[in-house]
Amino acid sequence: MADEKFSVKQYVKKTKLWKSIFRHDFMDTPRTRLQRVFGNVFLHLHPVRTSKDAIRVTYTWGLGGLSFFLFLILTVTGILLMFYYRPASILAYQDIKDLSFAVTLGQLLRNMHRWSAHLMVVVVILHMVRVFLTGAYKPPREYNWVVGVLLLVMTLFLSYTGYLLPWDQLALWAVTVGAQMAANSPLLGNEGPFRLPFITPFNDARFGLIGGTVINDATLIRFYVLHCIAVPFIFCVFVCVHLWRVRKDSFSKQTGEKVDVWPHLVSREFLGTLLTMVILFVWSMVMNAPLEGQANLNVTPNPSKAPWYFLGLQELLVYFDPWIAGVVLPTLIIIGLMAIPYVDINPKGVGYWPKMKWKRLGWLPVWVPEERPFAVTVFMLGVIMWFVLIFIGTYCRGPNWEWYMPGEPWSYRRLTKLTLKNIPNLWGSLILVSYFLFGSPIPKKVKEWLSTKMGSKAPALVSAALHIGLGMVMAVALFVPLLTAADADFPMRSRYTTLFEALGRSINSPVVSWMYHLVQQFGPAVGYAIIIPMVGLIGLCLGGVGIVFAKFKDRLYEALGPIKYAMVIALLLMMTGVLGKIVLRLLFGVKYLISLPVFNFNI
Amino acid sequence: MRRLLFVFFTALLAALFVVAMWQDTNREWTGYQRRFFKTLASDERRNVPGGIRQVIVKDLNRVDRCTTCHVAIDKPQLALAEEPFKAHPGKYLEWHPVEKFGCTVCHGGQGLATEVKAAHGDVPHWEEPLLRGSLVQASCRQCHGDLKAIETYAPTLVQGRQLFKAKGCYGCHAIKDFGQTVSQDLTEIGSKSYLLMEADFEMMEEPHHRIHWLMTKLRNPRTLNPGVRPEALPPGEEEVYPSAMPHFGLSPDDVDALTVYLLSLTASDLPASYVTHEPPEPTPVYASSVERGKAVFEKYGCAACHGLGGVGGRRNWNAGLGSEVPSLMYVKAYYGNDVERLKDLIRHGRQPVPRADATRPVPGLYMPTWKDRISEDDLDALVAYLLSLSDKLPQPPAAPAPASASATPSDQSTTPAASSP
Repeated sequence: MADEKFSVKQYVKKTKLWKSIFRHDFMDTPRTRLQRVFGNVFLHLHPVRTSKDAIRVTYTWGLGGLSFFLFLILTVTGILLMFYYRPASILAYQDIKDLSFAVTLGQLLRNMHRWSAHLMVVVVILHMVRVFLTGAYKPPREYNWVVGVLLLVMTLFLSYTGYLLPWDQLALWAVTVGAQMAANSPLLGNEGPFRLPFITPFNDARFGLIGGTVINDATLIRFYVLHCIAVPFIFCVFVCVHLWRVRKDSFSKQTGEKVDVWPHLVSREFLGTLLTMVILFVWSMVMNAPLEGQANLNVTPNPSKAPWYFLGLQELLVYFDPWIAGVVLPTLIIIGLMAIPYVDINPKGVGYWPKMKWKRLGWLPVWVPEERPFAVTVFMLGVIMWFVLIFIGTYCRGPNWEWYMPGEPWSYRRLTKLTLKNIPNLWGSLILVSYFLFGSPIPKKVKEWLSTKMGSKAPALVSAALHIGLGMVMAVALFVPLLTAADADFPMRSRYTTLFEALGRSINSPVVSWMYHLVQQFGPAVGYAIIIPMVGLIGLCLGGVGIVFAKFKDRLYEALGPIKYAMVIALLLMMTGVLGKIVLRLLFGVKYLISLPVFNFNI
Repeated sequence: MRRLLFVFFTALLAALFVVAMWQDTNREWTGYQRRFFKTLASDERRNVPGGIRQVIVKDLNRVDRCTTCHVAIDKPQLALAEEPFKAHPGKYLEWHPVEKFGCTVCHGGQGLATEVKAAHGDVPHWEEPLLRGSLVQASCRQCHGDLKAIETYAPTLVQGRQLFKAKGCYGCHAIKDFGQTVSQDLTEIGSKSYLLMEADFEMMEEPHHRIHWLMTKLRNPRTLNPGVRPEALPPGEEEVYPSAMPHFGLSPDDVDALTVYLLSLTASDLPASYVTHEPPEPTPVYASSVERGKAVFEKYGCAACHGLGGVGGRRNWNAGLGSEVPSLMYVKAYYGNDVERLKDLIRHGRQPVPRADATRPVPGLYMPTWKDRISEDDLDALVAYLLSLSDKLPQPPAAPAPASASATPSDQSTTPAASSP
């Protein structure tokens, strides 16, 4: 129909209707490239031009944009699901069955909602890791990092509240695990330590979370509103702030020539979303979202597992009381993450991935980044720990939370009898105190004072003495009670009078039973003659670790000042303390270092 | 290049959507409907709507989509010979109109599902599999309290109930307000969750559901609960005996009948208009106190542990008296002179049972308390019956007297027969 004088296209483009909607031409000119971005409400989130290196896929992997896109998918599929779902305990499960069996594309819709939610949790975490590794949280973007951490928390909370809605066994018991953790909050939880005098099961933290003392209709409607309206609303507000701050604070990478956002960035974004969509579609067609039997408070599945992203915390319940594993540690993780940009004053490493390098730490070869070895190592250690714990909780735990290799068949008959003992409180406090004193630096002024008073070698000697001393105290404070303390459970729950004998005969404290057999076989004289130097050696090793890091600690202290340094070192020690507690439990059969049953307070 | 990727992914996405839509419109049930409609003439088809069909029964709180595939279930004139297009056999649908009862209330299965396996309940996480064969009779009792009236239609169920009484199950298990509490209450066993059944799940072959569990348990109670030998336990742990339930050596038919009866014991909250109640049983008349005592013995399920007719022989791990429940044949020899002591033993029971080896755990079976269950009159009759049991024992050879020499052989030949029923 193309006519030289008259074409339909040209005619349509001249109509008032067309002009009122499309304000610019579609020719690929510099002018339209700009107009497309700032003339469009959705695209004007972008700058008009950005640096070429910033939009390289291998720099950001598009993770932030994908998080946002997954949120959009979740919103759309969620709205569609809301048409078919009634949040009442007698209807909810039936509605999910209807979605699976009768609604056109209902199963696909549900699968897509479920899998995008899982994917969003993963992508948001990866986005955070990327931002950390490329130093994109450093000034002036500190505040946006905090907003991002809040968005991560909200993502997890959205997933958690959505988990209950199918009202099947999986939902009920996963939410039960989380709700019980709330009941163990310090001060505000009915089962937590130092419960306030007015706290009862009817006004504690769990009651606030689930709207009752058991999970029922009240919980369902509460979670439904939180999941569909309240949290998404707040989430949107924070997303706006997050994106706005990205624009205002400028992008973390500014190298390379400037290119037009349309088409260079927009096309990449479009491709990324398309690819995600294809992956999600195939995933949803191949794999159905799980749906177990209808929720039944009388039938507890064994094991009951929390949603996978909380399984790391549930796994920590093996080593800590719920108030630590479920409340204190998550809070510390969140606070610690938020604090990162404010305590990390190292200006290096912004806008590029860390360059890894083999270095020597004493005699130990280590693979660390050149510029931010401490920050990157600590952060990645935390992330890896989190995912290792999730892996263990997901694949290695069977009935009664017993350890199984992945793929190993579960046995409901297996019940490993564990013998776990508490270290007497005074010894335990001594271990804890000396552990945290390990973080203390020797400030420059003290060093100067020492060298003027006692010669130039004094600071080094004092530092060595301090660390070796603390290491020795820790080793002694651990082994002395293990070897000599009376068993507090005797005679009610233990047949043996001393911890040494009780743990020595048990199967789950290899170190103590090794020592016990040594003493039994070779007699006390020879046995203790081997054990005592060994304890000394462990003390020396702990002290040695301290000495290796002593100089670094002092430098860190000088650079950060007392407050920031205290925060960094406390968070770091708590993180490694989690590992330490795991070691104490697995090698020594130690349950608590400090135990005050009256206050429900155990560490 | 990038434009090519655009086109490729967009096309892929569109194709995936088409595939999903195609899968959705060609689900399992559509194949069945297509096959069925092909056999019908066009004027016949007009009466049979296509698509997912469902029976909504508000009173019973059920939505059954079974008729989506079983299209001709209530139309014998259209029915074909092959499943799922058969009409319902018999007159059952006349008595139980589909719109008032639905399907799953009798047949079990997952009414909401539209895929064969899921609908028949042969999938994990669905506790009500299809009640196949005679098992469906279990559902009758939900409404039909008067089993005698439907005996012709539910023979297995009635047989199951008779067996339950005859084997003395009441001696350990209670149903509603009758029966002992030595073992599990069976009032709602037919709707109890499989996960709450007392079982070593590894001992159970597939499929894992209530029906299979009951059948396995009834065939041999020790299959599912073989106990744990002390060797298999960490040192210091108490051994676990195998299930204390006696092995009754039931025939496959008996197992089926008892399973049907047990499945019929459900927690049901049907509207009153659906339910008929059992008429009270006529008070029996007995010729003698021994006969009355025998009826008491059977009614309260003493036979389960003490053996039919009190012959004993039931295993009771680590009990005194040879790890068995005592036989009652010698009651007269022990208590003949002191009947009050026997009555007290029955009234108060014997708990715990004396152990053969004091270091091993207590035996699983014990004599429960009967004082509030068996009335004093019944107790007198029961004692008379128990004292009469020794009459059936082979008599000791009489003193050599020429007059009785001919009677002895015939005595011996009749005694085993007398004690066996």
